[in-house]
Amino acid sequence: MDQYSILGRIGEGAHGIVFKAKNIETGETVALKKVALHKPKDGIPNQALREIKALQEIEENQHVVKLMDVFPHGTGFVLVFEYMLSDLSEVIRNSEQPLADAQVKSYMLMLLKGVEFCHANSIMHRDLKPANLLISSTGQLKIADFGLARIFTRDDEDRLYSHQVATRWYRAPELLYGARKYDEGVDLWAVGCIFAELLNNSPLFPGVNDIEQLCCVLRVLGTPNQKIWPESVELPDYKKISFKEKLPIPLEQVVPDASPQAVQLLKQFLVYPSKQRVRAAQALLHPYFFTPPLPAHHSELPIPQRGGKKTCPQHQREFHVEQPLEEALVDRELIAPYLMDF
Amino acid sequence: MYHSSTQRRHWTFRSEEELSRRRADANRRFRCKAVANGKVPDGPPEGGGRLFCLPPPHEELTICKYYEKRLLDFCSVFKPVMPRSVMGSACMYFKRFYLNNSVMEYHPRVIMLTCAFLACKVDEFNVSSAQFVGNLRESPLGQEKALEQILEYELLLIQQLNFHLIVHNPYRPFEGFLIDLKTRYPLLENPETLRKTADDFLSRVALTDACLLYTPSQIALTAILSSASRAGISMESYLSESLMLKENKASLSQLLDGMKCMKNLVKKYEPPHLEEVAVLKQKLEKCHSPELALNANTKKRKGYEDDEYFTKKSKIEEDEWTDDDFIE
Repeated sequence: MDQYSILGRIGEGAHGIVFKAKNIETGETVALKKVALHKPKDGIPNQALREIKALQEIEENQHVVKLMDVFPHGTGFVLVFEYMLSDLSEVIRNSEQPLADAQVKSYMLMLLKGVEFCHANSIMHRDLKPANLLISSTGQLKIADFGLARIFTRDDEDRLYSHQVATRWYRAPELLYGARKYDEGVDLWAVGCIFAELLNNSPLFPGVNDIEQLCCVLRVLGTPNQKIWPESVELPDYKKISFKEKLPIPLEQVVPDASPQAVQLLKQFLVYPSKQRVRAAQALLHPYFFTPPLPAHHSELPIPQRGGKKTCPQHQREFHVEQPLEEALVDRELIAPYLMDF
Repeated sequence: MYHSSTQRRHWTFRSEEELSRRRADANRRFRCKAVANGKVPDGPPEGGGRLFCLPPPHEELTICKYYEKRLLDFCSVFKPVMPRSVMGSACMYFKRFYLNNSVMEYHPRVIMLTCAFLACKVDEFNVSSAQFVGNLRESPLGQEKALEQILEYELLLIQQLNFHLIVHNPYRPFEGFLIDLKTRYPLLENPETLRKTADDFLSRVALTDACLLYTPSQIALTAILSSASRAGISMESYLSESLMLKENKASLSQLLDGMKCMKNLVKKYEPPHLEEVAVLKQKLEKCHSPELALNANTKKRKGYEDDEYFTKKSKIEEDEWTDDDFIE
């Protein structure tokens, strides 16, 4: 801990406070996530273990936040991450109008690259949402908060997972119906929701509770039936709730300003059967990313400040090379009271 | 993915000598600490100095072997049935822990339970802590105390594991090889017949240091090949053709060497003798007894502020739950 000097508080995570800090030796700014153990009856929380587990094993990827170090501190430990300026939820919140096509494309490209990497490494994130997609000072998007991540195995058919994962708005329909067996498709559903949110500048399925969440989904995708979603009848809560028969709304009407290719790709994420959702690697090859306007370079993306403050000017005074020198000098009279008499 | 794993990068060692060296270092470090703390007078062991009561590295190893066996026994009768991978991870944690630590400092009885407890969590074998200690043959009060100790040591354990929690066991590659044999190696009529003997090999190799020296797939392959050779089947062509090692003489000979060494490890493994263990356990209890209190410096690290309270209490605990309390 002596290596770092705390610069301030960034926020509160699921299992501890996050601080902004500086590595005294290298000058690097980092985020410190403190995991305190108040000796709960089950010891070190699973969420913290999952995060360490997932991030220790993977090699570096440009679009996954980097765990730089873990060290013990007090009665707990500290996770050291690269410092990120902002997150996608702030980008969405702070932009007055919907993001430009090229910008949305760029975010989607980075998101899908990160997701592809996780899935290739057998990690389901299970809690993808704009607030967990951090934005670096150079505009790069990186997936963070692996507190719910799970290492999945394809052959392990009997393992049951918890369905209480993912933030409600981005929770896949099978989870809403209480599924205990699911796959990386839950992440791809979330990607679809985030995509639509970027296109519309507002969340796609903003349910206020779990039942209403299902209603939101059903309103757009129509009530599921055995024909379009054969596995649905086997889901634990499927028979517990029934909804009025509803036909799907064409997605073109849901994201009215989106280009045809965008809608086409979106459709491939937002389907009921998880297995039919387009995988990240495939989605990266979709024509959407190859038709103009092409994805924006990350330097062309907005970088809002933490805490939603509008960017404030770095300098109080502007200096120009061609300006006469006298004008750039501080007025002696202004500072006179502060000068000592020599 | 094993290739990018912390296991490959940090916990797979070059030779048995390296393992012995690390263990000897851990032993020496603790001796120095004991002398420096003035708990033990310096002097040659033959002179009857008190250092004599500290077990040397080879005795420590015997103690570890004994507790490793206990750990596996505890896991194999665990209820609900513990997946093999959890057992494997627990055992690996234990081995890694005592590669850099001495049994004189941390009592293996608590560490082994903490390893099993952590492995359950990391492998998402979800049992509640009450369920976990319910597997100890203990009164409810004793179970509660055991749990308290486990939780005390959990953080220390993951620190000593360097926060590297994922363990790659040979069980998955083993299934993978069987599938591969079924699909790509028609020479072998029914690969399933190899399972039983190969499985035994995996259980036996788990007691050795193989997991600190070889990759999980090497261990799995050795299990299969040794099972085949017992059944009088030569699988040379599987290595040369199916695994395409024909052209790669260097890799092939390296693999064969590794297999030979592993078989040797299994052959040479001797279960600890109970009389010897009984003597060593007495020595160990002395190291951990309050008047020697060699591990006094650890208490703070485990998060206890009130030393006196802890020492008193832990004395009672150690009296109350002993090795024989595990369900056999």
